[in-house]
Order: sequence, then C-alpha cells, then structure tokens
Amino acid sequence: MKELLKIENVSKHFADHTALDDVSLSIPEGSIYGLLGPNGAGKTTLIRIINRITAPDSGRVLFDGHEIAPADVYRIGYLPEERGLYKKMKVGEQAIFFARLKGLSRHEATVRLKQWFIKFGIQDWWNKKVEELSKGMAQKVQFIVTILHEPKLLIFDEPFSGFDPINANQLKEEILALRDKGATVIFSTHNMASVEEICDHITLINKSHNILSGPVSDIRRRHGNNIFRIAYRGEEESLRRALEGRCDLLGVEDEESMRYNTMKIHVEHDEDVRSVISAVNEAVELRSFDEIIPSMNDIFIRAVDGKL
Amino acid sequence: MSNIGIIVGREFNERVRKKSFIVMTILMPLLVVAMMIIPSLIMLHSTGDTKRVAVIDHSGIIAPQLESGEEIQYEPTDLSVEDARTLLTDYFGVLEIGADVMTNPNCVRLYANGSTSLAFEESLEDDIVDIIEREKLKEHNIHNLDEILAQVKTSVTITTFRNDEQSEEADEQTKSSAISTAIGFILGMMLYFILILYGAMVMQSVIEEKNSRVLEVMVSSVKPFELMMGKILGIATVAAVQILIWGVLIIGASAVAMPALVPADVMQSVEAMQAGTLDITQAEVDLDLLNAIGTATDVQYISTIFVWLLLFTVGGYLLYSAIFAAIGSSVDSVQDAQQLQTPVMLPIIISIFVMMTIFNDPNSPVAVWCSYIPFTSPIVMMARIPCGIPTWEIVLSLGILYASFVVMVWLAAKIYRVGIFMYGKKPSFKELWKWMRYKY
Repeated sequence: MKELLKIENVSKHFADHTALDDVSLSIPEGSIYGLLGPNGAGKTTLIRIINRITAPDSGRVLFDGHEIAPADVYRIGYLPEERGLYKKMKVGEQAIFFARLKGLSRHEATVRLKQWFIKFGIQDWWNKKVEELSKGMAQKVQFIVTILHEPKLLIFDEPFSGFDPINANQLKEEILALRDKGATVIFSTHNMASVEEICDHITLINKSHNILSGPVSDIRRRHGNNIFRIAYRGEEESLRRALEGRCDLLGVEDEESMRYNTMKIHVEHDEDVRSVISAVNEAVELRSFDEIIPSMNDIFIRAVDGKL
Repeated sequence: MSNIGIIVGREFNERVRKKSFIVMTILMPLLVVAMMIIPSLIMLHSTGDTKRVAVIDHSGIIAPQLESGEEIQYEPTDLSVEDARTLLTDYFGVLEIGADVMTNPNCVRLYANGSTSLAFEESLEDDIVDIIEREKLKEHNIHNLDEILAQVKTSVTITTFRNDEQSEEADEQTKSSAISTAIGFILGMMLYFILILYGAMVMQSVIEEKNSRVLEVMVSSVKPFELMMGKILGIATVAAVQILIWGVLIIGASAVAMPALVPADVMQSVEAMQAGTLDITQAEVDLDLLNAIGTATDVQYISTIFVWLLLFTVGGYLLYSAIFAAIGSSVDSVQDAQQLQTPVMLPIIISIFVMMTIFNDPNSPVAVWCSYIPFTSPIVMMARIPCGIPTWEIVLSLGILYASFVVMVWLAAKIYRVGIFMYGKKPSFKELWKWMRYKY
C-alpha cells in the first residue's frame, strides 16, 4: 500500500525535555490512522511537526513522496484539540476567512460552504455570530472549516469531544466517508472505543518513543495472551476438577445476562489448548470456547506500563 | 505574503465596522477641542470674583493712590489692625502698610481670611511697588513727569522669522510661538493616546485569540510571524484611516472654518501680515492674535505637520505594537500582562515629561536626545517639530525609529511563536529572554 506520510527518525528536543526521540512511522494512503499515547507523550509535537508549525531537530517528514514543503499545508486539514473561532465574527464570514487562508478563493469557499451548511442543515447559522452558537454547534462549524479545502491529509485531535452521541455519530460517518473518498486521516484520541471502531492502523507513542505500531486487528490478535472464556452447562465443580493441573483458572464471570455458566482460564502453552478443550468437553456440556482478544484499552494500559 | 493580506483585511473590517470606531473617530477631535477650551473657560470664570482688601496705611502715602481693579478692590479703613482682623471677616484680607514704607519696603503685611495665591500676592506687590517708585521719582522734582512716563511706556511684541528650509519659499512668513507650542502639545498628546490605545488593542486582541484558541487553528495554515504582522498591520491600517479622517477634519477646519469664523477685517490684516505689507504701527489688533490666526489658517504648514504626524504615529505604533504583541502572546490574561507592561509604558510617560520641557527650550540636550531614541522619539519629536526643526533631524529620527521597528519585530516574533503555545504560565523577563533563544 502506498504511503501518504512517512516520518523518518524524527527527534525534537526542548530546553528542558525531549518531546520526540527517533520516532518513525508511515501512514498508508486512504487509511484512518490512530495516534495514541498518554498525555505529554509527544503526540501534539508530532502533529505540529506534520503541520509545519515547528520543525524537527533531526529526521525527515515525507508527504506524498517528497519532503514536506510550505505549500503542503494547503493539502492538510487540522482540527486541534483546543479549538476556537473568533467569537464576535459571523459564522459564514469566518468560515470564508479560514478557507482563504487555506488557499481557496472567496467564491469557491462560499460555494462549498453553502453545500456543507445545507448538508448539515445549518443554513440559518450563516449570519449568526459564533458567540450565539452552543459549543457543539461551534464544533460543527469548525469541522466544516477543517475539511472545506478537501485536503489529502486530515488530522483530527479528539474530534468527538463536546459532541452528543447523535452528532458524534454524524461526524463519524463523515470521517469514514472522507476516507472512502480517498482522504487519509490521522486520528489522535484517548477514546479507545472509537479507535477500535474506526481506526485501521495505530501508533502508540509513550515517553517520546514509538512503542507500538500496526494494523489494529493484528495488534489485538498479537497481544491476546491465551486467555479463554468457557461457556457451559453443568457442574462448576466437575469443570474445576477436569481442568486441575492443565491450566490456571482465572475465575467465574457472573454476568446476569449470561445464559450459561462461564469460566475464564489461562492456558500457558498454545499446544495445550486442544487437550484443555477435550477435557472441558468431557466434564461439562460445552457451549462455547472463545479466546478473549484484549481491548485496545487493555493494550494501551499494558503498553504504557511497559508490560508488553 | 497573501496570508498577511487576508489577515489584515479581517482585522480592518472587524474593527472599522464596530460602533466604537465610529464613536472614537468623532469623539477624539471633540475631546481635543474640549481639552483646549475648558481650561480657558475655567480661567475666565475664576477671575470674575473681585477680592475686597481692607487697607490700613500708617504711612498715608500708599492708600490714596491704590487703584481698585477687576481683581482687587482696595478699601481704606481707620480700624486698628486687631479690630480689622476680628471684625472684617467678610473681606478677603487686611493689608497693613508700615509708616516707613518708603525707606523700608518690607514692612507690608497681609492678614488673609483664607488662602492666597502667588498670583494674588504678586499683583498686590506690583501695585505697591508702582506707587513707591512713582513717589520716589517725584522726589527728584522732574517737570512733566506724568507726560514723560506716558511717553516712555513701551510694549514689545516679537515677530519671529525662521531661517530653515521649510520657509524658503515664504521667507517673510512667521509662525506664532504660542500656537506652535500649543500644536506641539496637542500632537504629542494625540500620539500618546494613539500609542497607548492601539498598542493595548494589539495586546488585548492577541490575548483574546490565545484564550479562544483561535491561534491553534490559525497556525496550521499561517506562520506565527505572518499572524503577528497581519495583526499589527491590520490595526495600523485602522489607526491610519482614523488619523486621515481627523486630518481631513483639521485641515478642512484650517482652510474653511477658520477664515469663515474670523471677522473679515482681521483676516485682511492676517493676509497683509503674511504678505509682509502690514504696517505694524497701524495695526489695531493684537499682533500675537494675528500671528496665531495666520498659523492656524496656513493650510500648507498644517498639512506638512500632518504628514510628519502620520509618519511618526505609524513608526511609533509599529515599534510599540510589536512589543505589545509579544507581551500579549506570553500571558493568559490582561491582568497577567500588567507586570510586563509597566516597563514598556515607562518611556511613553517619560516622553510626556520631556515634552513639557520643550515649551521652555525645544533644543535642550534632553529633548534632542529623546527625539532620537526610538522609544521616546515619536512623542518628543512631534512636540518639537512645530517649533521649527531642520528636516534632516526629523528624517534621521524617523530612520532610527523604523530601523528599530524592524529589529523589534524580529525579537517580538521569536517571543510570539513560543508564547502562543504557552498556557498557564506567568513568564518573567528572564523567561522571555530564554524564549528568544529557542530554535524552531
């Protein structure tokens, strides 16, 4: 797959700390790429380097095959986590102002904005001042401003914060639609559920290093550590007896909605899985035997704690 | 470069459309006029009060000759000093003149019922001195003394001619010192207001952008330097438009309103004086007044001053607004800015004090030095210009001012691009110095 953005050995030091230390990653074209990491890990610095707000001390940023240049900011759309609009300015005028800074003509900007405003059903906001809008409404305007110049690369920093579930869903649909139209999206967030939902690839940055990279499904499978859930009918006692010595019992999951009894186990070696299954099958009426794939949340926490 | 243009456009449109801009544009000239008129009105009214002074004259020479005027009314009394002091409480005071006042002029006492002013005491002294001097002259038995005195009495009005290049084409033309000083003062004050007003506007607007996090959005499409310059230049265009409107108003007043308001015969005298044909001995009106009107209606002179004003205002504004932008970028609120702002305001305040000394001597070393130092030069030079300064001095001062603006913008931009990403920190000057040396 072709890469739209390639970060090569980028380092950035500030007077009293190192924000990025030899970070490399490549972002495939047309993907949604999650940029994860705890607060202060260096994500914002990396995003600022991609946006050419600051320059790296060493290393290169390649955009669409060439070293990133000033004109490339016209092909990048950035929605920062801390976002803002001029409060006293009218919505339409303000959106045109930002669009012009991204290289659109006044006319082109007006035409596109009208289309988006109709799409979002917010035409009557055009002549309102931003201070008259609610926070969520302002966020919507900000989203439109970010994507209006149809950038090849979109960078969203916590895009869903401040949205109600309905609007968050609408936003998610729009982001997926943009991806399907060929845009590449970098998605920086702490919300692991949304990462599982929409990200194709992720990179986890911690303490200025890239500690984990790859497709989301691969990572989750790779970090499954032989924990299984058994759903069965029968005596718990006989199950325990059958599994004795074969594996570690992690305990009973007693969720009320479960129609079956369950048991979580940890199998030390992959070779033992088959014998465990047959032992269970003999002892109780086996309904399912699932590997528990860790959530991105678990992986995130364990990776940051250095337990991977 | 086009980005700066877009930002300048936004700043200009946003501000010029505000009601406060229109109100300020109209109010400011009114305010200046009021500042000139109100003190003279107050002075007019304060002299209307006649002060009654009881006079106890032990010499018998002074009291009969004291002439009551509008300001002081002398009323001789036979009461003793003690009685007068206790009884005549509705008088302004009791003046006691010693018996040997002719030989010992220090034996004059005033027992006042309230506080007296220096001016009042001086006019009392003058009246008494006049009488004593006249009496002493009488002792010389000069024939026709009164006629001689009347003939000797002279009053001098100086007519100033300037030798610098400004008046080359009209060498006969003279500028009233009084009105030059007044114009200098008004120009200095105007610059003071503009520097503080618009400088603070730049700072506030940067703080606002930082607080509303608009900056975070902007920097992804615009360089911090472009952002800062766009803001400074945008507000500069607002200031320039405002000054131009004022200029048109003032020049219009000078060219149209003044000749229309001043009586025709006075205007004729003014024109005659400007042409050098006025017979000064025949003039009925006060020469100073003629001069003042002549200067105020000299459109070319007013316009020249106006061009300098525009250049110094823009230069001073650019220099200070760069500093204010840097301060605004480094703090989170206007309150936090106070501490950093004080040292910046200091040169502006000093300029005002130096400006006051210019009325006595426009070429004192302090005034000359301060009109070259970029931080004080706009106000000080502007106050000196109406007094007649060689053009090369003005151009040199402008050159220094604009050069230091370039340096200041370069330094301010370094602080700005670090400052706009710093939150929750109240930086000290030491920290700002550190930011300047960050590499980006």
